[in-house]
Amino acid sequence: MVIYSFYIFDRHTECIYSKIWLPPTPNPPPPPPPSTNTPTLAPPAAAHDGTAPLPPAAPSRTGTHVDRRSVSAKAGDDAKLIFGTVFSLRNMVRKLGGEDDAFINYRTAQYKLHYYETASNLRFVMLTDTATLSMRSVLHQIYINLWVEFVVKNPLSPVEHKGGVGVKNELFELGLDQFVRGLM
Amino acid sequence: MFFRTIFALIIINKAGGLIYNKTFHEAGLNKISTNDYLVLAGTFHGVHAITTRLNPVKAPSNRTSMQSGILTRPDPPSGLEVLESENFRLQCFTTLTGIKFLLFTDTTQANVDLTIRRIYEMYSDYVMKNPFYQLEMPIRCDMFDRKLLSYIREINNR
Repeated sequence: MVIYSFYIFDRHTECIYSKIWLPPTPNPPPPPPPSTNTPTLAPPAAAHDGTAPLPPAAPSRTGTHVDRRSVSAKAGDDAKLIFGTVFSLRNMVRKLGGEDDAFINYRTAQYKLHYYETASNLRFVMLTDTATLSMRSVLHQIYINLWVEFVVKNPLSPVEHKGGVGVKNELFELGLDQFVRGLM
Repeated sequence: MFFRTIFALIIINKAGGLIYNKTFHEAGLNKISTNDYLVLAGTFHGVHAITTRLNPVKAPSNRTSMQSGILTRPDPPSGLEVLESENFRLQCFTTLTGIKFLLFTDTTQANVDLTIRRIYEMYSDYVMKNPFYQLEMPIRCDMFDRKLLSYIREINNR
C-alpha cells in the first residue's frame, strides 16, 4: 500500500491541511523502487533501465528555489482541484443515490481517491495507489484519534482553522505521520 | 435488496453532451429529470478531465521505451474508472475516440468491465453502422435499444 497525499477541507471549502508523502518530482517514477536519480543524472539512469539516452532535462538549469516555489504552487492548485472533484462527485452521488448516500472512493488506472465526510462537513481526502482497499475506516480513525484529540480538544486551537491555524500543531502532525507510515 | 443489478446506462459524447440515457431498474437510483441528466453528463465530463490531471504518479514525459525493438510509449493517464458510493457503483469506460460509457450498477455487481465492453460492441454494431446516425448526436436506433435491453435483462434476471 502506498499513500500519496492527504487533505482536510473545512466547511468553508478551504483546504486547512495537506500533506504529501511522495514529492511529485517529474523524473523518478515514485512508487516501487526508491531510485535516487536526479535530473542531471538522467542519461546513465535512462541507460540503466534500457531506454534511449535523453539529453538532461531543461529544468535542471533553473534554480532549486524556483522549482520549490512552483511545486508548492502546484500543491495548492491540486488541493483546489481535489476539492472541486470531491464536491461535484458528492453532489452527483447524493442526487442519484438519495440524500443518505455517501461517496466513498473513486479509482483511475493510476491512483485511488478516498473520501470521508463528518457530520460537521469536515472532509478528509486521501490519495493512494490503486491496489488499496477501502480507507474509509482509516480516515474515520484519523478523525477520531487525531483530529478530535489533538485539534478539537486543544484549548488554544481556534474554532475556524483559517489558513490551517490550529491544525498544524506538533502532536497532530507527528501522530498523522506515524499513523500513515505504520500503514505503508 | 437488489442483488446484482444493472441500474442505468449513460453515454456521453466527446464534447460532454448526453447522447444516450436508459434506466433498466427503476428502484435503483433516484428518478431525475432529463435536464438533470444533461447537467450530470456535463459535470461528469469536467470531473473526469480533472481526475486525469490529479495523477500523483508522475511518469517521465515524452519518454519512449524500447521493448523488443519496438518503440512504445507509456499509456496516457486515465481519468475516473470506478466510483463507489454506499448505494451504487459507477463504472466508466472511455473509448479511444473519447466517448464515455457510464454504467450504474449495484455495489456487489461483478464483471462490469465485460458488460461495458459488450455494450460498446453493440454500439459499434448497431449505432455506428446505422447509415442514418449522425455522429455526436443523440442515439435513436431501435436495433440498439432492443439488443441492449435484451442483453441487460438477461444479466439482471440471472
